[in-house]
Amino acid sequence: MALDYSKLQTGESVSSQSYLLDGDTVAAYAEAVGDRHELTSKDGLGLLAPPMAVAALSLRGVVNDLAIPGGTLHVGQELEFKRAVAVGETLACDAVLTQNSVRGDWRFLVVRLKVEDGDGHRVMDGKSTIMLPVQGVSGTEA
Amino acid sequence: MEQGDSLPSVQRLITQEQIEKYARASGDFNPIHVDKEFAATSQFGGTIAHGMKIAATLSEMMTEAFSIDWLETGRLKLRFRAPVYPGDTVTAFGEVKRVRKRDGSREFFCSVGVRTQNEEAAITGDATVTVPVGDR
Repeated sequence: MALDYSKLQTGESVSSQSYLLDGDTVAAYAEAVGDRHELTSKDGLGLLAPPMAVAALSLRGVVNDLAIPGGTLHVGQELEFKRAVAVGETLACDAVLTQNSVRGDWRFLVVRLKVEDGDGHRVMDGKSTIMLPVQGVSGTEA
Repeated sequence: MEQGDSLPSVQRLITQEQIEKYARASGDFNPIHVDKEFAATSQFGGTIAHGMKIAATLSEMMTEAFSIDWLETGRLKLRFRAPVYPGDTVTAFGEVKRVRKRDGSREFFCSVGVRTQNEEAAITGDATVTVPVGDR
């Protein structure tokens, strides 16, 4: 069933997913963006993931769990990396809606992102701003 | 690295094949990126790259400039201003605007952006990173 975006409340959790950032995932990401850096942890954790791979994972749940419709635009992104993440770590990615408003033909959703490691330590915070076309999307005022 | 220094630019040719790889890697299959027929009917007239794929060039630039300190303390604030199409060449660029000394470290405030071959701003924003004194 299509999601009624007008009914999403600020403060509501919109995604909570756990992902293994394994070697294949990181390699696929690095190939897709062309990043050739291979940094190794100073603490013996091994090969480190590009920080934007963590950011991309954190957005995966938002895109899928919110069933983001075609024509949606990503207009703003804030990221704060708290520590380097090693390949092979499992990450808990949570997203909470902090704004849901309509301006003209667009619905603006602002989502706070939080990523923690397996011990519950924060590795990344973020804020995404996306614009959904109001017409043709369930729950529209049009 | 000091105030006024340029960050090492990163240049990439964007292809539809890369966009589809990014869709698989990120799990973002929005048809505006991967469905040519759908995208042709959009305001963009064709597929466009994921904003986060283009933003990755900025993180790569910051990694080149600040190495692991970027992974551990980096902050980015970005606006996606214009679409990037397959066939475009993008360049990530930046400049150190201010350096603040703190207890045992230096905080670098940088303006960053990504422009296309037509000098159009695809992304604008700011990046901040904290580096222990002596590292850089």
